[in-house]
Amino acid sequence: MVKKYTSMAYASADELLFGESKFPVKVGLGLEIGAGYTTPEVNYAPRPQAGKSKEKLIKEYERITTDIMERMIQIGAPSVVLETEHVEQMSNNPEWGAAVAHAQKTIMEEYHDEYGIKCALRHTIGDIRQDREYLQLRGGDKYNVFMEAFELCAQNGADLLSVESMGGKEIFDYSILRNDTAGILFGIGVLGSMDMEMIWKDISDIAKKTGTVSAGDTDCAQANTAMFIAGGLLDKNLAHTTAIVARAISAARSLCAYEAGAVGPGKDCGYENSIVKPIAGVPISQEGKTSTCAHSDLMGNLIMQCCDLWSNESVEFHGEFGGTTVQCWSESLAYDCSMMNVALKTGKAKDLRDVLVLSDKFRDPQGYVLAYDNAYRVGQAIVKDGENNYLRAKNAAIECCNIVEEGINSGKLRLTRFETNALAKVKADLEALTDDADQFMSDNLTKFKQEVPVFKPENYGL
Amino acid sequence: MLDLKLEDIDGILVRYNVALEKEMTPDEAAEELYPKDELIYPVAKAIYEGEEDDVVEALQAAIDAGKKPIDLIDDALMVGMGVVTQLYDEGIIFLPNVMMSADAMLAGIEFCKTQTNEVPEPRGKVVCHVAEGDVHDIGKNIVVALLRANGYDVVDLGRDVPVDEVIDAVTKEKPIMLTGTALMTTTMYAFKEVNDKLLEKGIKVPFACGGGAVNQDFVSQYELGVYGEEAADAPKIADAIIAGTVDIPALREEFHKH
Repeated sequence: MVKKYTSMAYASADELLFGESKFPVKVGLGLEIGAGYTTPEVNYAPRPQAGKSKEKLIKEYERITTDIMERMIQIGAPSVVLETEHVEQMSNNPEWGAAVAHAQKTIMEEYHDEYGIKCALRHTIGDIRQDREYLQLRGGDKYNVFMEAFELCAQNGADLLSVESMGGKEIFDYSILRNDTAGILFGIGVLGSMDMEMIWKDISDIAKKTGTVSAGDTDCAQANTAMFIAGGLLDKNLAHTTAIVARAISAARSLCAYEAGAVGPGKDCGYENSIVKPIAGVPISQEGKTSTCAHSDLMGNLIMQCCDLWSNESVEFHGEFGGTTVQCWSESLAYDCSMMNVALKTGKAKDLRDVLVLSDKFRDPQGYVLAYDNAYRVGQAIVKDGENNYLRAKNAAIECCNIVEEGINSGKLRLTRFETNALAKVKADLEALTDDADQFMSDNLTKFKQEVPVFKPENYGL
Repeated sequence: MLDLKLEDIDGILVRYNVALEKEMTPDEAAEELYPKDELIYPVAKAIYEGEEDDVVEALQAAIDAGKKPIDLIDDALMVGMGVVTQLYDEGIIFLPNVMMSADAMLAGIEFCKTQTNEVPEPRGKVVCHVAEGDVHDIGKNIVVALLRANGYDVVDLGRDVPVDEVIDAVTKEKPIMLTGTALMTTTMYAFKEVNDKLLEKGIKVPFACGGGAVNQDFVSQYELGVYGEEAADAPKIADAIIAGTVDIPALREEFHKH
């Protein structure tokens, strides 16, 4: 049994700050994350043709790594984290991922030895636990290869181990396109949490064995899918009020990694990290205005509020006027970190934090709920029933609805009738749900076994 | 914490969607578009509401009153779905409404098929797939639903589809259009291989591509590629093909926005 969070690591929302966490993480080559300074975390994707062979892929990552390290030295950045999100070839063939990790770390060590730059390498293993038709989340060859990918990367240079795991996604994908609130809660909050508890115990065991860091997950597969479908202010694909409820639920789910042994920093695209940090006290990575190369999020400044690593999400490696993309984006990240670090040194961090928050807080319900004062409240709702994955996810969703309603009533958060109606529907759906986790499980198992052909309960040990 | 006064917010951001929201509610807008025929109206309304049971019940009532099941597909189900897609295109309703209506329409078509031996005539056939190596299929699922909602016969090959399987399906099904979606930069390279193998066989079918990391520049690199920025572009590209625009440069001219 994992130990569940039933109290907040932070005594108040106002304590939350960028560059500082309750439990800093020492990692890699001289780096300490969340220990009083922020660090850029650069993320990248190889060019399409680079995946043709192992040799081409290694060469591509060598170029990427050298470009980033060189630019960091050229502009005088004191620290950097590189994040390699595996392309499927690297996780399905763990020796590919290991070879890339080794090549990258060799280059990073050279720069660290020559210049003293503090640095670390995160490898985010692809969640390969699926075939063409179904998820194959537990047991069997897929799971073994999945774990082998973590272990080989850890043995060959990766310092931070992460994944964007997919548990519950088959139910979520079906439900989010049908406004099925119970399905969203079941997919993320119940099934997703169950899968997280299983994999993060195993990943944390590998981290212990290899002397690396079990860093954390993100609900990219679900909450980010909702955010991306919701899109911009004029997009008509999903109510932003529904998307933020999915996000609030995802905090209860992503927290499971830390309950199972992860220590942070959580993954950059986990926008729920602003809720996770006040509960778990772990350092977090975030992405916002510097991830516009990958997607739009309506909270580009706000989400910097309490980051420890500041990321660009991902950018395809190619040339720009100012150098390669990884050079341009790493430089932008480094300037942001420099600004935050100055604020920390000059006692102005809380002011800068609040300016960042207020520049986006009323732009959209998603940013409104993730603003640190409100995020803290969602965290409190989670720990209130922290022992129960279902109840805490439901609490988070209801508190999220309450917060948005308060924003609307204040006159500051202006929403369309459509968004307001969608919020009312979600809240009514949530309030109609049972408080009995077993009953909820039973009802939804029956329902989704009938409605979603690709749902296999055995993926969750059910 | 610092805070903003209410009157200061407008100078910092503008909620354009609030300012632009139409006065008419979606239900009122739909009501104006429903056909007036008293047997067709309840079918169309049930499609709009996404209520599968109500669709079947209304179809049964229409059949009992003498309507031919095969005719009801075009005259009632497609008309109801037309209301839904028009409201979606006008920004009055959102995607989940369309998905639920599409489910209800498909249930209605299946019901009609059980009531007749006649075979419905689709508008055209489209083959859809997710690139080899890529398991992210929510975008493809939206494309499939929107194409079906617009009357197209969709052959859904699923996700992580090997290139040769795509070629075999196109050879066998002879679709008016092929679609490909991908999330990752490395998997979308499979689109180029699909393109090359189709051309080797002399097949020049429009290949509509989109999703995640896919962009117009990449899709423009291969001869058959037509970039769709949004899932809703898929039925529009198919409509253009049905209307006679089969030339790839002409489709690009119409649908490439950047």
